Amino acid sequence: MEKAHNSFNKNGHIPTSPRNIPPPAVSFNDDASDNHLHHYTADEANRISEDVDRFISVISAIDDKSSSSLPEVPDFIKTYSEIIESRITRSRKNVAGGDDDELFFIESVRRISRLTNALSEFSSDARANPPLNQTSVALQRAMVFLEEEFRSLLEDSTSEWDPQNAHNIQKFSSFNSKSQQEYSDRCAAQREIDTAHSVEYPAYSPEDVDKMHEIATTMISAGYETECCQVYYISRRNAIRNQMTKLELEVLLNMDDVVKMPWETLETEIARWINVVKTCSETIFPGEKRLGEWVFNDHPEIRRSLISNILRAVVIQLLDFAEATSMAKRSADKLFRYLDMYDALQKLIASISGESYSDELTAEVTAAVDRIGESAVCIFCDLENSIKSDAAKVPVPGGAVHPLTRYMMNYLKYTCEYKDTLESIFAKHTEPDKKYTPPPPTTTTTASLSSNDLERESDSPHNFETVASTTPFSMQVVMVMDLLDANLEQKSRLYKDPSLRCVFLMNNGRYILQKVKGSPEIRQVMGDIWCRRRSTVVRQYHKNYQRETWNRVLQCLSHDGLLVNGKANKPLLKERFKIFTNTFDEIHRTQSAWMVSDEQLQSELRISVSAVVIPAYRSFVGRFRQYLDSGKQADKYIKYQPEDIETLIEGLFEGNITSMARRKT
Amino acid sequence: MPATDHNQGSFLNRISIRRSQFAAVDHIHDQEVVDLDLFQRHVSDRFSLLLSPSTTTTTTTTTTDSHETHHTHPPPPPQILSISWLRNLLDAFLCCEAEFKAVLVSGRDPAQFSRPPLDRLVPDLLERSVKALDVCNAVTHGVDIVQHWHKLAQIAVTSLSQNPVGEGQVRRAKKALTTLLTLMVSDDNKENNATTTTTNNAHATKWADRTRSFSRRGAAAATTTNNKERPTGKNLRSLSWSVSKSWSAAKQIQTMSANLVAPRGAESTGLAQPVYIMNTLIVFITWALVAAIPCQERNGLPTHFQNIPRNLGWAQPLIGLQEKIGEEWKKKEKKGTAGLLEELKEMEKVANSLLEFADGFEFPMEEEKAAGMAVKVAEMGEICRRMEEGLGPLNQQVREVFHRIVKSRAEVLDVLDHIQVCKHSAPLPY
Repeated sequence: MEKAHNSFNKNGHIPTSPRNIPPPAVSFNDDASDNHLHHYTADEANRISEDVDRFISVISAIDDKSSSSLPEVPDFIKTYSEIIESRITRSRKNVAGGDDDELFFIESVRRISRLTNALSEFSSDARANPPLNQTSVALQRAMVFLEEEFRSLLEDSTSEWDPQNAHNIQKFSSFNSKSQQEYSDRCAAQREIDTAHSVEYPAYSPEDVDKMHEIATTMISAGYETECCQVYYISRRNAIRNQMTKLELEVLLNMDDVVKMPWETLETEIARWINVVKTCSETIFPGEKRLGEWVFNDHPEIRRSLISNILRAVVIQLLDFAEATSMAKRSADKLFRYLDMYDALQKLIASISGESYSDELTAEVTAAVDRIGESAVCIFCDLENSIKSDAAKVPVPGGAVHPLTRYMMNYLKYTCEYKDTLESIFAKHTEPDKKYTPPPPTTTTTASLSSNDLERESDSPHNFETVASTTPFSMQVVMVMDLLDANLEQKSRLYKDPSLRCVFLMNNGRYILQKVKGSPEIRQVMGDIWCRRRSTVVRQYHKNYQRETWNRVLQCLSHDGLLVNGKANKPLLKERFKIFTNTFDEIHRTQSAWMVSDEQLQSELRISVSAVVIPAYRSFVGRFRQYLDSGKQADKYIKYQPEDIETLIEGLFEGNITSMARRKT
Repeated sequence: MPATDHNQGSFLNRISIRRSQFAAVDHIHDQEVVDLDLFQRHVSDRFSLLLSPSTTTTTTTTTTDSHETHHTHPPPPPQILSISWLRNLLDAFLCCEAEFKAVLVSGRDPAQFSRPPLDRLVPDLLERSVKALDVCNAVTHGVDIVQHWHKLAQIAVTSLSQNPVGEGQVRRAKKALTTLLTLMVSDDNKENNATTTTTNNAHATKWADRTRSFSRRGAAAATTTNNKERPTGKNLRSLSWSVSKSWSAAKQIQTMSANLVAPRGAESTGLAQPVYIMNTLIVFITWALVAAIPCQERNGLPTHFQNIPRNLGWAQPLIGLQEKIGEEWKKKEKKGTAGLLEELKEMEKVANSLLEFADGFEFPMEEEKAAGMAVKVAEMGEICRRMEEGLGPLNQQVREVFHRIVKSRAEVLDVLDHIQVCKHSAPLPY
């Protein structure tokens, strides 16, 4: 501001420039209080403004403000107040003045506010009071006007923010592989939409934001901070609320209702909630911060408290739902939704922290995150009990993969897709000294393998040291895996036939191995050594099967004792052929009903059986066929040609006997 | 809140020390009787302080302040239903709750929860406590609204404290006060049409109607003055409720107080008694909060939420409080004032007299009038100060109650889950 160059004489008398009171220009027929006012041309108004500025400088420069040191207050002060009031009146009547006019108005308001402040320093001087009264009225009217302007600017966002698919609420059913996949696809798609639109919220034109900034600055500098903040706070809160309603993302549920909600309904609500949280942390909160930073650019303290109050109201409401959800009854199915919520809340924390808007608020969110984390840990750890108590009385037909194995492995697969989240949750919510104790290296886990089957004790798949990482989460996964093994071992005992028991264990072991190999996340947890050992164990079951089933077949094909001094023992030979045929038929009948759904394993099994049986049979037939009297007799005893055997072996493990209760598994 | 922490901490320490001393000895039952007795006495003591605060003799004041070395009086006890009183009430509740949980859970054989009477009482308590959470939320929002009102009153104080008070200042104060008084009515009553009004415009129209038919001092004053500064539907804005539209605080309290029956016969000496006490306390504090703080749909709030048997020793102060607050509520319903919160009652009164001053204002103000107004401004300033200091902490305390209920519920559920796991765990849904 220009320094008070003194155009006034020493006794404080202010010379009035002859141009100061301009001739009336356009006369405005305003309402009662204003009808005596005239419309001043821009030049005249500017001249008066300069005079006012000069006057402010002069009186501000006076050191002694107590005594009657105030110079006589010139008439143009009154005129200036009237100019402002008339401008307001015109605006109310929608007489548009253009941008220059607006700028002039804002400057005038600031000037009158400065003038009022300067004058009020002399309030002990009675002479100051009448002009002060006049300027205070003008200032008040200007402030009411600006407040209304501010409100209508805030409420009339030019274009509504309406991302096309933001209200496309995700629906997903309970945990299963398909919906899980679709769900994550949808999340990804949603994220793209959100990011694309995030720059457009809140939808104000730059000019409007500038105006808001000007108004806020003016109101605050005039001491109308409270009014300004109230208008802003209420408008923004209601705007967020309307935005949510429009996007059908409003979360208005009572705790009471949420706690009682059936899971299917709640799951839909959770999906909706996750969308809301995402919209908040990716769009609404950054938008509110941006707007606040623009509008209250010059007042960081005010900005901080306003933004944090605005966000707080929304966040608390979002958290209540999370709290209510974490109070619902826990079950294995819910884990993934909890983890989704956990992730969403982590992002929310990121979106509210930053400029440390509110530590208290961050603490609230953190508390909610922790509660959800605890629920997730509890659910995952509850698997232990669920697996332990999963006792079947009827074996799965054909030794096929048990549904428990499928469920658990799919479950673990998806669990491990949340590995990073779970690692951090487990690191936080399990006691660091909780030592994993593997199930006693008992006989239960290796019962069907004789001690020679495993080359070394450490080759047991249940050996904890074999796993790659030892974070609390991976230890928990290993424990679940071990419990699953133990449970399957138990289930295998339901099979009377040791061969079938081996097939069952082989099937399940193979399935587990394939799942682990097929998912980089679990593989990372379990490690390559574990995979190798697991393969060894499956191979061992394979060998055991071969021994259990085919050793007795090979025994009939033994050449021993059939030739005595070059002569064949015909009755014994006939008997052997008969036994072979019967045994083979029996095996074929039984084992083609057995189920090996893993194609590779199935073919490996057939190849290994063929490799053992066919050469032995071929050689047996080749050697002893000649001793049977005629072709006719040979046909009677030799039911199968070696080629037939090969074909029949190809029919094993098809699981194709209709008398068996079929299962999709 | 250091007071809370302190009480709670020391109490829990006592409990745990006592438990560890006696746990080894086979006096568990005797110990339980002692604990129950102690719990009831503590409840009675704490609520007696709230009922007749004049008996607070234990309060100590610091004598280090040089100005007050000669006259150190304990601070005057908080007026019933004032912000400080509500804070004490919540403190008392939090203490009782901690003690109750210790009585109920610690050192107890979990199997007892699956046997009568706890198998029935505990789920009932948990359900009631979830309902209390919704009340906490509504109250949190209500405090937000009161904070908004407080800001308006603060504008009037700031404006009228200026020297000199000119026409501009008076108009500013009048605008704020008229808005304040209008909102006090419409905020508190808008729940009635909350189901029909969804947009701001609809709200605004309703409020405009309301303002027109508004018979009390504020609006009457507003209509007689320069209509440019009168709050109308157009510029009158308030916060929308953040609970679902059909929710009613009054109904919630009614539901919570339903089937709240004092244990009789043999049960009355056992664990049923503390559970009943806790139920009663939950209903009592939520009822008192709803009465004091504007909440969605308070009409029909019961003046008596239940008949506590008069022969129960611990219940005497609660019965007294219930009667006092009930009386106040009846008065409020008759007069249609804004809320039972002491500060709001005072604020409404002072706002009306300030408006009177404003209406009769002429510049320059006569000295006598100015002095009279200064007194009222100071009164309002004092109310604002109390709100400024108290509302934030009160809100935090309401959140604390919320969190405490959530946490306790989780703890009790953990115990219950544990019993269930021992019996049978949830089957895997394959």
